[in-house]
Amino acid sequence: MSFWQATMKRSVKLSRTYFIMGVLMAVFGTAISNVYSLIPADLLNIEGTSIDLMNSMPLVSVSLLSMSALMFSMPVMMLFVFDKNTGVLEYLLSTGLNQFDVYKGYVKASLSLASILLVFSNVLNTAIGIYLGTSLDFLATVVVLTFAVGLSGVLLGAVSMMAFSSFQKTQLGANQPLGIAIGMVPVLPALMVPFIFPSYALVIIISIAIMTLLFSLGLLLLSGRLIPREKLLP
Amino acid sequence: MQKLEINEISAGYGGKEVIHNIDLKITEPAIYIVLGPNGAGKTTLFRTIGGILKPFSGRITLDDTDLFNSKEARKRIAYLSHLSALPEEMTVFNALKYYANMEGGDIEHSLELLSLSDLKDSKFSSLSQGQKKRVSIGKIFLSERELYLLDEPTSNVDPKISKEIRDIIIKLSKDKFVLYSSHNLYEAREIGTYLILIKNGELKFFDKIENIKAKQYRVGIKALNDISDLLPESEFDNGYYVVTVDNPAAVAKIINDLVHAGAGLTEVREIDNPLQEFFKGE
Repeated sequence: MSFWQATMKRSVKLSRTYFIMGVLMAVFGTAISNVYSLIPADLLNIEGTSIDLMNSMPLVSVSLLSMSALMFSMPVMMLFVFDKNTGVLEYLLSTGLNQFDVYKGYVKASLSLASILLVFSNVLNTAIGIYLGTSLDFLATVVVLTFAVGLSGVLLGAVSMMAFSSFQKTQLGANQPLGIAIGMVPVLPALMVPFIFPSYALVIIISIAIMTLLFSLGLLLLSGRLIPREKLLP
Repeated sequence: MQKLEINEISAGYGGKEVIHNIDLKITEPAIYIVLGPNGAGKTTLFRTIGGILKPFSGRITLDDTDLFNSKEARKRIAYLSHLSALPEEMTVFNALKYYANMEGGDIEHSLELLSLSDLKDSKFSSLSQGQKKRVSIGKIFLSERELYLLDEPTSNVDPKISKEIRDIIIKLSKDKFVLYSSHNLYEAREIGTYLILIKNGELKFFDKIENIKAKQYRVGIKALNDISDLLPESEFDNGYYVVTVDNPAAVAKIINDLVHAGAGLTEVREIDNPLQEFFKGE
């Protein structure tokens, strides 16, 4: 078993609460995505309001499903801080790994866990959507957007979490909320943009996801140079 | 392994130098005691040799291979920090398996060597400090290495286990290089062959412990009878008649005289450790 696989397995055992919350949020996101199909169109098109609920509501599921992925991968980020404080990271460095190998292991574990949940939530969402007669084009769009926003949010959360955990001078324990907060940066626009700019929502969301992805990858690739090895020590 | 060369190494944290121009050459399998007060730079030296810290300047080679840049060379080193460095949520067996999967090794051998077989299904976090230390030591014996960096391996361990660990390390040192940091001067003298003294990040002394000469030796003697007349220059302290000599050989004569005088000796012990005087003086 490779390092990242072992990390993923350990994270699953570390906290089941985050996984349950992640699954519940995914179910909630799926419900939001599909509930509009059951509401008469004239109730959604309220006269006198600039908000187009008919087109906006389904896209809200993108941010909710992405948040669920972030929640699902949270134990990996907690594990990183935990391993740093108990000297596991120090020992890993002594075995010949460098800081990039270590960061990569935790990031891969985060993305893998997030992917598992995104596959589950999208299968659920698509199955219910097909049953309710939602257009296949729209369901495919949700799948693409959810993976783009969800994985970029998880990547940004994981990388910045490790970077900030390494930068902080005082150890604040394993319950590090910074990763969630930063991971929410690309996810929140996905929640708001459909209501504010419904016509450009798709373009804006996908652009933010791509920028986040590139920024996070850049940060990860530079981590070996930007973050010295000693920052992994307890 | 033939030799470990530490050439003019300076290292530290965040650009701040902790150890300065340390130069050492180790060519004989033995226990090298690394001694120094808190903050002297012992752990920094271990971390630098172990490839954890990148030296600011200088080079460390193992049989002429640069240690920091060679993953293969690093696999020949075992590093034990003062922390457990084990996944605490796992059982003892799985915690060792975690590293065995990455580095290879024989888990059963480690469990047996450190008398951990009975604890193998116990959760690591539920163990006592001493038991955790044993498991932590167990991970460095998963596979055979050539250089062992042991940062206070017997801290938090009861005397019985401490002795068992020392015995393992002594046996190991017959054909391996062991760098062993300790604050315990008696332990250092008992098991060490060489002494590496570090103060303020600088190497102050490196030689065989047997070559260390103290200015004086204080020996405590306990006897069934009153021996104050036989040792008129002794002080009575805490149940011992304490005599001070300038040469260890003088102790043999004193003991011989007391035995012939029928003093009924029950115990003879060294009161001060020569390393203590040396440690203060250097």
